[in-house]
Amino acid sequence: MTEDKSWPRIGFYVCHCGGNISDYVDVEKVRQVLAEEPGVVVARDVMFACSDSSQNEMVSDIKTYKLDRIVVASCTPRLHETTFRNVIDRGGLNRYTYYHANIREQTSWAHTDDKEGATIKAIRHSRAAVAYARLAEPLESLKAPVVPSVLVVGGGIAGIRAALDLADAGIAVHLIEREPFLGGRAAQLSNSYPQDRKGSEIVARLIAEARRRDDIAIHANAEVVGLDGCIGNFEARIRLNPRYFRTSRMQVKAPGPLNGETPSRFNYGLSKEGPVVMPPFSGTYPEIPYLDRENCSGDYIKSISETYGDAVDVNQKSEDLTVKVGAVIVATGFDPYEPKEGEFGYRTHPNVVTLQQLHRLVELNMLRDVHKIAFIYCVGSRQVRTDEEEVNEYCSRYCCNAAMNISLVLLRLRDKLGGDLRLYHLYRDIRTYGKNETLYEEALKKEVVFVKYSEEDPPVVSALGGRLTVTVKDLLTVLDDRLEIPVDMVVLVTGMVPRQSNEALYQIMRVAKGTDRFLLEIHPKLKPVETAMAGIFITGTCQGPKDMRETLASAQAASSKAAAITLMAELELDPFVASVDPNLCNLSKACVAECEYGAIEFKEIPGLGQKASVCGAKCKGCGSCVAVCPTGAVQLKGLSNNQLKAQIEALGRKVEI
Amino acid sequence: MNIEPSIHEFGGSQELPEERHEVMIVGGGICGMQAALDLGDMGFKVLLVEKEPSIGGVMYKLSKTFPTLDCASCISTPRMASTAHHKNIAVLTYSEVREAVKEGEGNFRIRILEKPRYVDSATCTACSLCEKACPVLVPSEYDWNLSGRKAAFIPFDTAVPKIALIDMDNCIYCGACERACPVGCIDFLQTPKWHTVHVGSIVLATGFRLFDAKLKPTYHYGEYPNVITSMQMERLLSPTRPTHAIVRPLDGKEPGNIAYVLCVGSRDDTIKNTYCSQVCCMYSIKQAQLLMGALPLADVSIYYIDIRAFGKGFEEFYVQTKAMGVNFVKGKIAKIEQQKNGDLTLFYEDIENGGRLSKASHDLVVLAVGILPGGNPAQVFKGEELMLDKIGWIKSPDENSSPMMTSIPGVFAAGTAIGAKDIPDSAVEGSGAAMDAAAYLRTLDRKRPGNKKEGGPS
Repeated sequence: MTEDKSWPRIGFYVCHCGGNISDYVDVEKVRQVLAEEPGVVVARDVMFACSDSSQNEMVSDIKTYKLDRIVVASCTPRLHETTFRNVIDRGGLNRYTYYHANIREQTSWAHTDDKEGATIKAIRHSRAAVAYARLAEPLESLKAPVVPSVLVVGGGIAGIRAALDLADAGIAVHLIEREPFLGGRAAQLSNSYPQDRKGSEIVARLIAEARRRDDIAIHANAEVVGLDGCIGNFEARIRLNPRYFRTSRMQVKAPGPLNGETPSRFNYGLSKEGPVVMPPFSGTYPEIPYLDRENCSGDYIKSISETYGDAVDVNQKSEDLTVKVGAVIVATGFDPYEPKEGEFGYRTHPNVVTLQQLHRLVELNMLRDVHKIAFIYCVGSRQVRTDEEEVNEYCSRYCCNAAMNISLVLLRLRDKLGGDLRLYHLYRDIRTYGKNETLYEEALKKEVVFVKYSEEDPPVVSALGGRLTVTVKDLLTVLDDRLEIPVDMVVLVTGMVPRQSNEALYQIMRVAKGTDRFLLEIHPKLKPVETAMAGIFITGTCQGPKDMRETLASAQAASSKAAAITLMAELELDPFVASVDPNLCNLSKACVAECEYGAIEFKEIPGLGQKASVCGAKCKGCGSCVAVCPTGAVQLKGLSNNQLKAQIEALGRKVEI
Repeated sequence: MNIEPSIHEFGGSQELPEERHEVMIVGGGICGMQAALDLGDMGFKVLLVEKEPSIGGVMYKLSKTFPTLDCASCISTPRMASTAHHKNIAVLTYSEVREAVKEGEGNFRIRILEKPRYVDSATCTACSLCEKACPVLVPSEYDWNLSGRKAAFIPFDTAVPKIALIDMDNCIYCGACERACPVGCIDFLQTPKWHTVHVGSIVLATGFRLFDAKLKPTYHYGEYPNVITSMQMERLLSPTRPTHAIVRPLDGKEPGNIAYVLCVGSRDDTIKNTYCSQVCCMYSIKQAQLLMGALPLADVSIYYIDIRAFGKGFEEFYVQTKAMGVNFVKGKIAKIEQQKNGDLTLFYEDIENGGRLSKASHDLVVLAVGILPGGNPAQVFKGEELMLDKIGWIKSPDENSSPMMTSIPGVFAAGTAIGAKDIPDSAVEGSGAAMDAAAYLRTLDRKRPGNKKEGGPS
């Protein structure tokens, strides 16, 4: 160990990570080489650097050896940089004098075929980290005040649940729904599980609760059109779209002869509605009609003004509203998979419906004289990957349970449907996971026939002489022949797809999508509702298929994270932002033009006149300004050019092992 | 881990002064830790009670986790450390909640028994010299009996807190540990301690227990050495594994043809658990992938009823595993017979090949054991009924509006305390229950006259 009074005293720890690192990297060698680096006072190898005992060892080393810099060579800093910053905080050091070398993701896992090479690379990375640490200066975190309110985007079951919880915890909520009415997809279910209740009743009760809370401002028929700022202090622009109606439903006559032409979205096209759209279920919000003005002729607008008088204002314009919030919850839900025309007879035969339509048919009492129904599973889910088109490889999770549940409902309604009822379930795997198995168990005991089909040989739906017939090869019987099942109705058990219409919103929120095109969390176990954008959380089915129970749990998790931010008066932010040395600034303005976040402006500096100045809360630390500054006046705190040069020099030094 | 020694009350027990916390979390697994961290971050004072000597639950014993294959200890170990060091969280390990009495909304009186470690936790440095000195070797809970531990021992390398304890049921009172200890922290005269705690709200994160595979006699677990459970395989695949290679227990041979038997203790009326355990398909598929990596020449077959790859990224993981060459066979295993060389014959109905009865020979069989309700949280509540479902999981009276609530207002339950589930879902519910508790307490605060807390000792 080399000692020099001018150097900081560095503690270096290299992690075995169980075997994740030490199976491919000679950790002991790394330790030996790094122990000789200038400034390194202590060098240790540890089984799990992140474990409590290793953390305690670091804290005690800081005291024993009077360390003032710590470097850990382990996994990606995304996972544990904060962990180790907290450790040295406990040891009494400035948390930003810690530096991390990634020798797992970038070394041991990447070079499993070359142990010597991996060891050399680990040494180079570790040396670079030590070189950085030598130049690291103590920094102070930025403090930013927190706005104690939350924006919840999406007025379905997830959004309403989150809003309720936050309001109960004492946090103000702006709940935004793009549709004219609150309720989302859950309200469209005739029957839910595990509790067999009408979806709209469950939702209506939650809406009633939300309306009782003063702290929840609800805006239906509204959308988020802009979002600025950062965690703790966002500014959202909300567009309140015109609904053209002003009074409560009680005063508005039924739309009567105002004959609708548009397929009802709430009823998945099974009925027509509009242009005056009535509240789709009792207990939604607001219970005021909505005028679909785009589908109105001039004459119609005239007649509507006559019919409704003061209640309607056809000249209403959209209004923009700006709200300040500390956190954002995205709960924008899913779309049901829409089968292609002809896919299993969909839209070529009227009695081929989707699972979602079946719920509406049951609730609207529209099923008559059906005796034999075939359910075809996995429509739009678990699709086999092809090179030609984008497919849904994922399983939609809720549909097996939902199909089983609605079948039990149909069997209970059998007398109303015309007596005799037989159901055929054509499936690939029955995935009634967990307690949902009870639904399957019950169905097995009833008039439900289960037929397993192979994805390579799916069922064929045809209309022979007007009679729907499903032809399928059953894997569960020894028969070589295909089964021909004449049925009255085919239900396509359609899964969930990401909402198509949300692209603009996701751009505004800058939230990322996974390969399944649903929104992506940072980490499924450590940060399951967090996104790469600090302070913006995702929940419910916009993140991936979930049932109602799971959606609620996820909503509560997101509200918990949002509450942890907004219950704080002040937020500590990392100080890695740009700063300007006013003595070097020559007013080139290059930095101002380059900054995407509007974080740099000119300010009067006493004695020096106008100089560039960085607003820490807006700066993202991207470094663009540093690159364009002609005089080197702008530097990133915690990542100066000198530190970068020192790292590069250390990376390039020869390693002998 | 289930270290549940009998309590030796040689010298009676000790009553500790009463304490107050805002929320008590029962169970320090991944769900309970998450609930504690979330509440702590929201500014609530939390007491986390764990019955085992270390927090961490089951996750730290796993190898890697599905479907992302990230290493389990890399996620759970730092989580344990941040729980222990959070300024708003107090942790009580090796302690059991014995009684909870609701004395009003937002006011529960709790009696907690802290079991004696026979080691002074303030002075123990976890040097493990007592462990080395102890002459008694018993099967290790940490390794699911695949290795041994001493009667004086540190639960595992990354335990939190990392303090030794003496398993008095197996101690022979030789005093070797006491003589070996450099700081004199061994104390055979320690007595159990009773804590009386007042809390405003409770989160039950009491977890699960594994199905005991011996209850399926036709599989001969515990009798045929080469029939092991999936949790034992987790240990064999883990970076902190007991043996450096994957070997079968009978003769240390590297297995070349491994079978997974799914639904052992799940979806099975004969053992009174008709529920699906929700995780076994996926952990078996994950283990199959890890085995393909660890034993490139081995064949792996998975015998299943339905493959339930339902969560985010699961189906893609399943498809990938099939493409890697794992053999998926639809058929429930009826029985297992042992051959002379220790190999095993599996009898099953080969559903996708005409449903005929078939036999297959494998040299190692892994039983994918299911999960069942753990502990008995209902019995600690005096004067209140904690609603359970038919299998014994805690049940919300309103699952489709508030899935983590229980039949007792102010008591919430999450994770595998309310049903079988995987790690992501458990973590999400831990956060969700934290929100429930926070909302409950803040609502009560607003209802109180003058917004002041009342009652209880200060």
